[in-house]
Amino acid sequence: MIGVLDSSRTQMVMEALLQRIVETGSGLAIIDITGVPTVDTLVAQHLLKTVAAARLMGAECIISGIRPQIAQTIVHLGVDLGSVATKATLADALILALGRIGATVTRSAPRA
Amino acid sequence: MRDGKPPAERIPILKMGEFLLVTIQVEMHDRLVMGLQDELTQQIVQHRARGVLIDISALEIVDSFIGRALGNIAKMARVLDAETVVVGMQPAVAITLVELGLNLEGVRTALNAEKGMALMRRGFDAR
Amino acid sequence: MPAVREETMDVRSDEDVMRVRQVTRQWAIDLGFSLIDQTKIVTAASELARNALIYGGGGITRFEALHEGARRGLRLTFEDKGPGIADVAQAMRDGFTSGSGLGLGLGGARRLSNEFDIVSAPGQGTTVRIARWK
Repeated sequence: MIGVLDSSRTQMVMEALLQRIVETGSGLAIIDITGVPTVDTLVAQHLLKTVAAARLMGAECIISGIRPQIAQTIVHLGVDLGSVATKATLADALILALGRIGATVTRSAPRA
Repeated sequence: MRDGKPPAERIPILKMGEFLLVTIQVEMHDRLVMGLQDELTQQIVQHRARGVLIDISALEIVDSFIGRALGNIAKMARVLDAETVVVGMQPAVAITLVELGLNLEGVRTALNAEKGMALMRRGFDAR
Repeated sequence: MPAVREETMDVRSDEDVMRVRQVTRQWAIDLGFSLIDQTKIVTAASELARNALIYGGGGITRFEALHEGARRGLRLTFEDKGPGIADVAQAMRDGFTSGSGLGLGLGGARRLSNEFDIVSAPGQGTTVRIARWK
């Protein structure tokens, strides 16, 4: 996801995500918010509700790309992420996701 | 028939090996839900089923009554040494359930019947 | 504000509760609600119609289309002449986690609606109104 997230846009994106989960039969979704500058309470709540809905449907979500500012906002707003897995980078989220489905990731080239 | 209305439909329960399969394809009134609960319990015992798969992909509304019924079915099944998986929950239903605040604890879910069956066959190892 | 369209139906049986869901769905579709908003108000209607039947001994459901400028909405009223609720605040909380009694239905319906109000007292029946705006 990239760009400013307002409440209604977040809602649309989240509904589309859940629909994609059904269509692709993906048991695991990564929500990457690297390109999102700020997150307010409403957006954070939408994110959490979407993760809860996905879980109810039988899929898991990982939220990745949480910048320090957003992490601060989340704590400051008192939003409880509960058992939602979060990772700072998309790469880390992918490693986590692949690990969960039983694959392992090995590095074949030196880190840039 | 009562009052000239057609009798309430039963929800068919299919036996597949050690598993029971229920596909809900009609809008259910409360009595039908209760009937399903009773019949499932009976059949779990009768067939010594190890798992129950309930397909709700056609269900457009899951309110607290149905939610509780699903929870009860899972609890009763567990007492009878069988596991329950609910599959195919529609996104709009999931979002509404989250908003409703209904806790479907104890009810395993999977995206579709295929994944649900795989889950049951794996013996419900921890995810 | 003036309500434009209106319809009333009895809630006296399980089948009626199901019909309330179907009628609510059609009203929501006619008013152009998104699928999720349809689902929310139909689910809320189901809770309240069931309450009217089980706790109120049966009652009626009223449907009204709302228009406020360009905004359109749907208001549902559930009325019964049952025993009434002594402590409404408690009833809204009760059973929310235990999953039994009125609480889950009332609190749930409120969470699923844009507007919610309830009038109830012992011996005076119960009237619950919810509204959802497009």
